[in-house]
Amino acid sequence: MKHSLCLVAIFAWLALFCAPASGAVSGDGKTAYAANTAAEPAMAQMPDPTDESAYDDDDDYDYDDEPFGEERVTISDPLEPVNRIAHVFNDRMYFWVLKPAAVVYKAVAPEPVRISVKNLHSHLGYPARFLSCLLQTDFTGAAEETGRFVINTLWGIGGLMDPAAGENINLEKQDTDLGETLGVYGVGHGFYIVWPVFGPSSPRDSASFIDEYLLYPPFYIRPWYASTALTALEYVNSASLRIGEYESLVGAAIDPYVAMRNAYVQYRMKSVQARQARSLLFKEETAGPPEVKEAEDEN
Amino acid sequence: MRKYVLALNLLMIFMLSAIAVAGEPTTAVEASVNQVLDVLKDPKLKGEEAKSVKTEKLRVIYKGMFDEMEFSRRTLTRNWKNFTPAERREFVELFEQVLEKSYLDKILDYSDEKIVFHKESMIAKDKAEVQSKIVTSSKEIPIDYRLILKDGKWKVYDVVVENVSLVQNYRTQFNEILADGTPEQLLKILRKKVKEQ
Repeated sequence: MKHSLCLVAIFAWLALFCAPASGAVSGDGKTAYAANTAAEPAMAQMPDPTDESAYDDDDDYDYDDEPFGEERVTISDPLEPVNRIAHVFNDRMYFWVLKPAAVVYKAVAPEPVRISVKNLHSHLGYPARFLSCLLQTDFTGAAEETGRFVINTLWGIGGLMDPAAGENINLEKQDTDLGETLGVYGVGHGFYIVWPVFGPSSPRDSASFIDEYLLYPPFYIRPWYASTALTALEYVNSASLRIGEYESLVGAAIDPYVAMRNAYVQYRMKSVQARQARSLLFKEETAGPPEVKEAEDEN
Repeated sequence: MRKYVLALNLLMIFMLSAIAVAGEPTTAVEASVNQVLDVLKDPKLKGEEAKSVKTEKLRVIYKGMFDEMEFSRRTLTRNWKNFTPAERREFVELFEQVLEKSYLDKILDYSDEKIVFHKESMIAKDKAEVQSKIVTSSKEIPIDYRLILKDGKWKVYDVVVENVSLVQNYRTQFNEILADGTPEQLLKILRKKVKEQ
């Protein structure tokens, strides 16, 4: 009996002791949430911005040991002066040509039409994605892509709609290309290239031109200007669905060129890692993404 | 009596664990995001003239949601110690303004997109990643929040948009400037940026 009383006492004490701390945790969400209709009480909860000691703190943090540290990744950029010129050229092209065209097009074509054009473009990219899935030994992905192609051809009005991605069938598009395929096999970027018109790339990722042209059936439409016009339409169409994205990236950047380069490398690294995780050959090795090897010390 | 005590003990254990669950990182982020959505959807705050009221309300929310100090330090990493306390203070302030001005319009543009929180991973005892996505009619945008536990509160110190970590992105930019520039030069660039926006 005494024993149980003791236990009660200990628990009561524990509960009392922990209450303020853990209360604050849940309060972070709950009380602040309740207070939001009247902003003033929430204001009182704000952390004191004049905490001087934080600014005097001289600890030599380099955050190399942080759990996400393995993602610190860069790319060598020996062509920087030329790349910067191409970057400015692409920037002007976007603001002077592509964006105005996309704005007009957006006003003329309702969103469902534009999404259908996008779906069709993606539908016709099936051969390229199928090949990449096979080469990556992602046979599930190859099968899913084939399933999507059949379903969307038959029930998606030849690819204008994407019922395969709907909730009932739920076959996601395998968004991959030959650049990623090389990445899965451990090929590094090499160095950074900004292609005029086409944008950020690298020698490795330039392999994706094969996907976009040689493996893309409309590329073979003759006369040549018909397929070029089609490509231009696809460009404008996809831009019309993404107006504002490039602007916000550039608007938030201190050095837009460096911001783009880093965003590109981070994005591609994550994609390659995701593809490796699906690959039968490389599933086990995903711990060490190939790009890390070529990372140069940023500091 | 013994039964009663047992029940009481069980109740207490249950209560303690309930508090722990409520403190999960996802709850913290989701609550803040919901507050933001409430402000954005508030019918009383429609139109241009309510924009400043909205901005003010949003500022209160994200101040409680983000750890701007952690964010700033992580972008500067080792360079932090080359800044004097006064320079650090100015840096944190300017950087916050750059971020606010860049992303506020984007947030105010919100029009009924769905936001789904679908995964939480504890990376360390005091670090977690909460994955969410914004679903629009034509696309899905993955947004991951990285949180750190400080004084019993989960605060966001990095946002990963479409697999691009903002901290890393700014870190590269600042490193490039500080590689052969002084802290003062970086501050100058930031001041100019804030003025232009």
